Amino acid sequence: MKRLQPQRWSSSVLSPQVRAGCRLQRRIQHGLRYQTTTTPFPVTEAEAKQPIQDLVPPPKKRSSRSAISKHSLPSPPVKAARESAKLAALHARLYLPARLPLETLARTLVDESADPNPDFNNESLATLGHDLLTQYTSEYLICTYPRLPMTVIFAAMYAYVGPKTLSAMVKEWGVELAVAPGGEVDPGHLQFKRLDPGVNPNQPLKNPNRPYENEATWRRSISSKIVYDDVFGEPVRASVDPRQQVQSADRYAAGVTPEQACSQFVRAVLGAIYLHAGRPAAKRFFEQHFISRHLNISDLFNFREPARDLSRLCARENFEPPYAKILSETGRLSRHPVFVVGIFSGKDKLGEGSGSSLLEARSRAAVASLKGWYLYSPLNVRLPNSMEEEGAAPWKPVHVDLGEVIV
Amino acid sequence: MTVQGIRTVTSARNGVGAFILQCKRLDFHYCDWAGSSRGMVSFLKHHLPSFAKANPQIEIRVSPRPHKHPVIKGHYVNGREKAICVRNLEPEQIFNKANLLKAASGEKLKRTKKPIASLNESVRGIWDPYHGGFKSV
Repeated sequence: MKRLQPQRWSSSVLSPQVRAGCRLQRRIQHGLRYQTTTTPFPVTEAEAKQPIQDLVPPPKKRSSRSAISKHSLPSPPVKAARESAKLAALHARLYLPARLPLETLARTLVDESADPNPDFNNESLATLGHDLLTQYTSEYLICTYPRLPMTVIFAAMYAYVGPKTLSAMVKEWGVELAVAPGGEVDPGHLQFKRLDPGVNPNQPLKNPNRPYENEATWRRSISSKIVYDDVFGEPVRASVDPRQQVQSADRYAAGVTPEQACSQFVRAVLGAIYLHAGRPAAKRFFEQHFISRHLNISDLFNFREPARDLSRLCARENFEPPYAKILSETGRLSRHPVFVVGIFSGKDKLGEGSGSSLLEARSRAAVASLKGWYLYSPLNVRLPNSMEEEGAAPWKPVHVDLGEVIV
Repeated sequence: MTVQGIRTVTSARNGVGAFILQCKRLDFHYCDWAGSSRGMVSFLKHHLPSFAKANPQIEIRVSPRPHKHPVIKGHYVNGREKAICVRNLEPEQIFNKANLLKAASGEKLKRTKKPIASLNESVRGIWDPYHGGFKSV
């Protein structure tokens, strides 16, 4: 870490007339110019003088060193992490645990497309982080809302840990994207190989494990999505045999989108926290950065025929068949009538809705009653991952409902 | 398929879980020759190390800008930047300006009319004339 030394600046750089003839001095000053960042870590005087000593050796040795390092590397060298003010600032801005070293944080910022070497890119950390993220989120959703339909769970998973959310988080964390990866780039930038223009990033993936994969027009049921697809209900890339991993180098030859690179980075940060600081720190990070975000789950529903669904639901749950009743109305013969309709099952009012026609009001009331059922949330939810702690109380099974009605 | 899920993105609530300081970088520009930078040079010598240590979230850059007035520039997470000219100011005043830039959100200044802004909808709902027993509307 280098720190500006105003004394030296004032004597040498800003009075060019005094030392105009000294080329070596000017070189040093030129080198110093870009190293004037202050870091949160205490820097000794010896360390502060380091760059000058590096620059002073004879030019032959320096040129041979620079030929090996930096520009020939696909990603920044490991020791560069300690010298990056951006990286240290990011570490502090995210309140990452002190046990997570800057070198690992630098590694999370290198995408697989930038550096195919698995020892230096974030792919392994991102795999771990993705598993943790999806496990924690799905536990939270299923235990908090035990009656959610599967399609809504997919949508909620996408909203909490989907690639769009993760790339928005990267922006909110103030991480800057490098234009192109390379050894000379500041390790505080997110590095990935950008997709060439004209390449469609949304090419449909095919999973050979899935039966009838080539029948494009066939309907894909929710149950098959649970088995064969990923946590968002989207087709997954077929798992690659580690022995054939060599091919993965050219898998990303075309580059990746910023969205993919950003989401890999966020996952890798969680994976790195888990590895370096342990499970409680990872859970805390998850709660603070993911679950604390705002999502209104009742906005995720899209009903096709709510009245039919409601009658099927009442039949399944052995409720009396629902019926709709006008609660109040105004201006039936005017241009803007308003009807308020309630849906009842026996004497219990299930829901209520208003609309400018009787049918509209009835379907709104049916939607309200269906949401009232699906969005049930028990009090004092305990998540299964609380059992991982030491001395946890014995587990009591949580209530998980059948899910949506099958029509 | 009876019910479909609508894909959205969760919205951030900075400070509800984690708090991310919105100022990500401060640039200090000074001139060693001009008198308007005297306070700035003194600030850089004596106050900046402790300021940087107290605010590790902010990347700090110091660079000379010869023959210009001293300036502090703040770069923010939302992509905007704010610059304050600190010519002829004392180190303490410059410290206050740096703190001002650090605490700013980066947004344009705007007048807040409501004391509370919330993403959640109102618990009481919106008043309408068809409920509450008013039979003659």
